[in-house]
Amino acid sequence: MNRRIFLFGALAAASCGKDHRPRLNVWNWSTYIDPEMVKAFERQRSVRIRYGTYESNEEMLAKAVTGNSGWDIVFPTHSRLAPMWRNGLLATLDHKRLPSLHNLEARFQSPEWDPSLRQGVPYMWNATGIVYNKAQVSAPARWADLWSPALSGRLTMLDDPEDVLGICLLKLGYPFSSINEAQLGKAKVEALAQKKLLRAYLNADVRDQLVSGDVLAAQLWSTTAAQAVHGGAKLGFIYPQEGFPLYCDCAAILRESPRQELAHEFLDYLLQPGVAAANAKVAETATANAAARVLLPSDDVLYPPLQAMQRGIWPPALDSAAQRLRDRIWTEIKSG
Amino acid sequence: MRQWFLLPARLWTGLFFAIPLCIVLAYSFLTRGDYGGVELPWTTESYLRLADPVYLGILWRSVWVAAVSSLLCTLLGFPLALFIAKSGKRKVFYLQLVLLPFWTSFLIRTYAWIFLLRDTGLINTVLQALHLISKPLPLLYNDGAVLAGLVYNFLPFFVLPVFASLEKMDPALLEAAADLGATGWRALWRVTVPVSMPGIVAGTVLVFIPCLGSYLVPDLLGGGKTVMLGNLVQNQFTSARDWPFGAAASFALLGVCALLAALLLRNRQIRSVL
Repeated sequence: MNRRIFLFGALAAASCGKDHRPRLNVWNWSTYIDPEMVKAFERQRSVRIRYGTYESNEEMLAKAVTGNSGWDIVFPTHSRLAPMWRNGLLATLDHKRLPSLHNLEARFQSPEWDPSLRQGVPYMWNATGIVYNKAQVSAPARWADLWSPALSGRLTMLDDPEDVLGICLLKLGYPFSSINEAQLGKAKVEALAQKKLLRAYLNADVRDQLVSGDVLAAQLWSTTAAQAVHGGAKLGFIYPQEGFPLYCDCAAILRESPRQELAHEFLDYLLQPGVAAANAKVAETATANAAARVLLPSDDVLYPPLQAMQRGIWPPALDSAAQRLRDRIWTEIKSG
Repeated sequence: MRQWFLLPARLWTGLFFAIPLCIVLAYSFLTRGDYGGVELPWTTESYLRLADPVYLGILWRSVWVAAVSSLLCTLLGFPLALFIAKSGKRKVFYLQLVLLPFWTSFLIRTYAWIFLLRDTGLINTVLQALHLISKPLPLLYNDGAVLAGLVYNFLPFFVLPVFASLEKMDPALLEAAADLGATGWRALWRVTVPVSMPGIVAGTVLVFIPCLGSYLVPDLLGGGKTVMLGNLVQNQFTSARDWPFGAAASFALLGVCALLAALLLRNRQIRSVL
C-alpha cells in the first residue's frame, strides 16, 4: 500500500466515523430532565442532542441575547419570556406541531403571562412559601408570622431581593412586584426590622439546618422544601395568606435556531405524559403537565390545594429603572 | 533570544489578563442593558453612583474587615513563621503543613467551617457534651465567623513571605545582639522584627488585598447579612443585572489594590521577598 492509498483510506474511514444525524442543541437548568428521556428521543428520531445546563436566567440570557448562541431550545422562567419576545429572541410556537399541548394543566394552557401560548411551553413550576419545624413551633399562616420574636436567631429568609422585598410588600398590603418608591421604602423598614431576628439569608443551604433543627422557620422554595420534608424531618410547608410568588420555567425555541421543526418535535416529546412524569421525578419539582401528574405520587408541598393556588402571584419582569431602585434598596437592607 | 522565551508568558498575560481587563473597563463606561449585558451610549454614570453613601459604606466596611484580618494574620502568623524558621530539619515538614490546606478547594474548606461553627456543629456539640454551655453559642453567621474564615484561608499568604525573610537573616546578628547584652525579647524586638519587616509588610498586603475582594467567605460564613465589595460586584452581574455598575465597582476595587501594590513594589527589600 503506498502512501496515497493509505491517506485516502484514512480519510474515508474518518468521514464514515462522523455522525451525520441532525443535531439539536438543548440548554436547560441543571437536574431538570431525566437523561434517559434524552437518550430515548435520540433513538426514536435518530437525532443527536447536545445537552447543556445553566444555573440562572442571567447566564442563559447573556448568551441568548447575542442571537448567535448556538442553542435551539432554552428554558426561561415565565417572567423572562416577555422581554425575550420583545427583543425578537423567541420563535413563535406552532400549535399544529405541538399536538400534545392538551396534556398541560388547564391553568397552563392559557397562562396570564402568555395567554395564547406563543412564547414557551410551561414545563416545571414552584412557589415560595414558609417551611417550619412542626415539633417546635406552631404552624405559621402568614408572612407576618415571620416577624415573631419567638423565632429570633432561628429564622432564615431567601438571599433573593425579589422574594424578600416582595413579601415585605405583601405584609404591608402592597403588590408583590411594586415599583412605587414610597411603598418600597416602607418595605425596607420592615425588612430591616426583620433582619434583627434573622439567622441568615440562605437559599438551598438552609435545607440541612432545617433537618438538623438549627433553623425553625424559613422562607423557601417549595421544591427545596419538598426535599427537606420528604427527608423525614418533622417539617411542614405552608402557602401564606397574604399571597405568594409562583415561578414557571417554560421550554422555548430561540428564533436563531435553524431547526425549528425538530425543536417543535422535541417540545412535543417533553409533553408526553410518561416523559414529563420521568422528568418531574428527577427534577423533584411540580410539573405543568396534568397527564403526567396523575402518574406521580400526590404531594401537598409541591402542589398547593386549589384554594391556596388562587392566592398565587406570577411576578412580571421589571424594567431597568425599577430593577435598579430595588437593587439599591436590597443593598441597603443587606448592609444595614 | 530572551525576547522569544518571554513571548508565551507575554501572550498569555495579554490575552487572558490585559484584554479582559480592557473589556471590563469599557463595560464600566457603558449603559446597562435590560437583560444584563451593556448598551451604548458611553457614560460615567456608574462611577458617579459609586459615590452614594450606601456604596461608600460598603467600601469602608470592606477596608475595615480586610485590615482587621491582616492584623490577626500578623499576630498569628509572625510567631508561626519564626517557629518554622527556627525549627532546623523539620522546617520543610512544617512548611508542608502550612500549605496542606491548598490541596483542597477554597469552597470546600469554607463549607467545612460551617460544620464546625453551626448550632449542631462540632464546637457546640463538644462544649454541650462537656456541660460548659447549656445553649449552643451563636458562632456562625456573624462578623466573628467571617473574620475566622478569612484569617484561616489567607494565613499562609502571610507566613510564607515572613518565613522567607526570616530565613535569610544572618544568625550572627542575634549573636551580636546577645554579646552586646540584649535579652531574648529585646533581640526579637530590635533585631528580628526590623530585619523581617519587608516580609511582614509583603505578607500583610498579600492578605489585605484578597480579603478586600473576597465574597465567598462573607456570603457563606456571614450568612449574607453583610455586604463587602466582592458581594456587591457579584450581585451586579447576577440578580441586579447591572454589568456597567459591577464593572465600575470592580475597577474601584482594582484601583485600591493597585495603589497598595504600587506602594509596596517601590521598596526594593519588599520586592526581594515577593
